[in-house]
Amino acid sequence: MAVQIVMDRTGDTRHEFDVADPEGVARAEERFRQLTGKGFRAVALSGDGSPGKLVGKFDPHVEQTLFIPQLQGG
Amino acid sequence: MERVRNLLRVLLGRALSQHGQEAPALSNILIERASGRFEPRLGAYFANGYCTWAPVRPADCYAVCERYAAWDLTSLRRALLCEAQEIYARMCAEHLAEVGRTRERRGMAAALLDRLRRRTRSPARDPVGEPEPAREEADATHLRGETQHRLRHWWAQQSDDCARYALFGTGFSADIGSKRAQDRGIRLLMENLSAAQRKQYEKYGYFDVTGGKTGKRYRIRHGRQMNIEQLDRNGRRVCGWCFFPQGSLVAGDIMLAQKAAIELFESDALRIANRF
Repeated sequence: MAVQIVMDRTGDTRHEFDVADPEGVARAEERFRQLTGKGFRAVALSGDGSPGKLVGKFDPHVEQTLFIPQLQGG
Repeated sequence: MERVRNLLRVLLGRALSQHGQEAPALSNILIERASGRFEPRLGAYFANGYCTWAPVRPADCYAVCERYAAWDLTSLRRALLCEAQEIYARMCAEHLAEVGRTRERRGMAAALLDRLRRRTRSPARDPVGEPEPAREEADATHLRGETQHRLRHWWAQQSDDCARYALFGTGFSADIGSKRAQDRGIRLLMENLSAAQRKQYEKYGYFDVTGGKTGKRYRIRHGRQMNIEQLDRNGRRVCGWCFFPQGSLVAGDIMLAQKAAIELFESDALRIANRF
């Protein structure tokens, strides 16, 4: 199972999908496109705290993708 | 004069927002000279060791120098401390008054809730009008007490948040979101910190991150804004950076986004960020 983690007001919302399920993968890809289109950055999490990797293109094999909203200066 | 006063209000406001009801005593005002490309800074130092800085322009201090006839750094510092203590006393009084009002509102709401609960949950009676056995009554009382305690706790939390936002504005470094959202945010952050960073965060409330592009060291403190410091080789503060993700995210999410930004797209993040 892969998971897409979207940061939001509730802490985060997690969308799990099965890599073997084409429908789930399609939904995940659509979500990826929509969020990155809105300015979110997708980061493949390493899971051990080491720096992850910026993801520019949807990859269903990434185990955990974190979506970070657009940054702003304070 | 007003510009310096505003600056002092910002510094003192930070201390109040960070420490809530237990406002620390103001111990000193510090002035740091300009060095290289760094502007001079004004700092407020508190009895509990908390220190906060903001850049200051020499022109802003001129009115203070004139008013107090303070023409050297020591006298200027003394004059600023005098001004700051006056402002801080007023701010603390306002803060305490607001907390008092909040408590009063909380008390009224708790009493109202209690009355409502008593009405809806009046003791059950048997068919001939006799009260139920004492044990059941005791259980019901205990349950009522517990529910009341939980409600009061929740109400207190909401009211304190309201008071804090009323005083310091919605965007300040206070935590926002429900307790559950905050916990989720912190859990997500902890899952994505290295063991050393996790230990550091648990012990000191901050963790260090290395810039992915420049290799510079940054310190992310618990908070939502103005919580990133750039450190030099010796761990001394070089400057502060302020950037965060859009939307009303909880502190844990913001700190994780800041970590990822510094590690993965440092130059983009610093281009957006404000330096302080």
